[in-house]
Amino acid sequence: MRTTHRALLGLVVALGMGTARGAIPAEQDDCLGCHGSDPSQTMDLPSGEKLSLYVDQEHFAKSVHGEILRCGDCHSDKTGYPHDSKPFKTRRDVTVATYEQCKSCHFANYTKTLDGVHFAIMAKGNRKAALCVDCHGSHDIGRPTEPRARISQTCASCHANVNKVYLGSVHGKGLTAGNQDVPVCTDCHRAHDIADPRDGSLALRTPEVCGRCHTDEKMMKRYGLSTRVVDTYLTDFHGMSASLTKGHARSAKAKDPNRLFAAVCTDCHGVHEISKSKDPGSPVVRANLVKTCRKCHPDATDSFPASWLSHYEPSPQKAPIVWLVQMFYRLMIPFMVGGLVLQIALHLWRVVVNR
Amino acid sequence: MSEYIVRFNVQQRIEHLVTMVVFALLCFTGLPQKFYTTGWAHVLVDVFGGIDNTRAIHRFCGVVLALSTVVHFAMALNTIVGKRTRLSMVPSKQDFTDAIGTLRYYLGVADKAPPFDRYDYRMKFEYWGLVAGNIIMVLTGFVLYFPTLAARVVPGEIIPAAKVAHSNEGLMAFLVITIWHIYNAHLNPDVFPFDTSIFTGKISRERMLHEHPLELARMEGKSLADLGHGHGHGHADAGKMG
Repeated sequence: MRTTHRALLGLVVALGMGTARGAIPAEQDDCLGCHGSDPSQTMDLPSGEKLSLYVDQEHFAKSVHGEILRCGDCHSDKTGYPHDSKPFKTRRDVTVATYEQCKSCHFANYTKTLDGVHFAIMAKGNRKAALCVDCHGSHDIGRPTEPRARISQTCASCHANVNKVYLGSVHGKGLTAGNQDVPVCTDCHRAHDIADPRDGSLALRTPEVCGRCHTDEKMMKRYGLSTRVVDTYLTDFHGMSASLTKGHARSAKAKDPNRLFAAVCTDCHGVHEISKSKDPGSPVVRANLVKTCRKCHPDATDSFPASWLSHYEPSPQKAPIVWLVQMFYRLMIPFMVGGLVLQIALHLWRVVVNR
Repeated sequence: MSEYIVRFNVQQRIEHLVTMVVFALLCFTGLPQKFYTTGWAHVLVDVFGGIDNTRAIHRFCGVVLALSTVVHFAMALNTIVGKRTRLSMVPSKQDFTDAIGTLRYYLGVADKAPPFDRYDYRMKFEYWGLVAGNIIMVLTGFVLYFPTLAARVVPGEIIPAAKVAHSNEGLMAFLVITIWHIYNAHLNPDVFPFDTSIFTGKISRERMLHEHPLELARMEGKSLADLGHGHGHGHADAGKMG
């Protein structure tokens, strides 16, 4: 459904390219007669800001909506001339008041935003929180993923510092180099239902978030990376604890904001600054590992990191003691249980025979 | 001659009760951690109020089990040094002979099961299995409880090894108890539905005659033949566990 929708949009946009100057639905509303001629046309707001009233017809025609929407589809309150004047004090007031127009078509994504962190802080009164048009634009709406690097630039318009850190990471450098595999902001944080990263629930989801790419055989093969990293993490104490905490993170954090959870991917590897695990600056390279362990285990000594098998499965080469113990029980448990069951069976047989 | 014989003293009954409760709690709080991917594990963890509470209960019970093991051996040592007991729980060559004799009887090669003393070879097996299991579980449990401290004393690799051992030994103990002990103390046709002697301390003379004739003979100063062991009753095999 969504794919066909997209394909259709693509087709429409492609057709639109050639006929940008041709008749578009927006022209039928006679709005552009006033709003499409003078780029300097503005309106003074009580805040002292100037609200531009000009719409670049060419720009709009090229946008994803150019071939589809008439002005009144979004500006549904502008039904006559002169327009009813509305008491907007600031430009932000205008945006906040009109952004909900998107939901009349994009209801699914709008609904998702209600679960997002931007909506949550907007509801608490922070009017800077991103609304549809802050990320997507208004008259110039294009496909948000073309090119892919555009996504992180969009987020960076507010989250500039995080983006700077991200661009220095192994993923960010890849993105700059045109790599299409690396995650951009929305791959981990999602686009519309962005979770609040402070409540711990996103952190506890990292094994599956990171795992989406890091267990992809085909993708990891291109970089010579192991796809066993998630499984080996999950079977370890941290992974097991995180799995059992998942779903309870938010309530636990609400009770105690300083609450620590079992280490997840990002606790050791880093978040936006993540680097190759062999990079000398990486927190998981051997030389830095104790320091990383000490974030949660303050009294860890130099011998402590050896207790972590570095995502290796126990083998005679990698962790011989662990491997031996594992083999012992692999033989011992069936032998023990089998022996006892056999003896019970023999006893029952004897009881039956004696009767 | 009374109809009942006192088989377990108060201390032994309390020890069993403590072990039983603590063992059950350890299973309920430990197994969900081993099988953390399953739905029932999450349900159990929720019942105990989250993984942190689950773990707190698990560790508390672990400490109780460790202490009870220490107390048990201290008291046993005291009794042995004071020569107030026979070393009835110590395995001997006779136990191997008995095991083979019992199997021969089960298979129909021998007519009668061997007569047992106070503890038969199965009870000794379970007792020493529990002792060995306790030692492994307590040692590895403390390594997992205090990993950074452990890493100061032993190589780091011991910690994941302890986790593998703790998790598997725990599962094995759970299986041995649910299969073997539940059978012998409940489902065994000789005692079904419930062998109460470890709770009441009392056992009927009739069962003593069947299951522990050597001990009964010694108590009553008679020979096996005087007791009439092996005559009359249908099954002379024992199944009760200590």
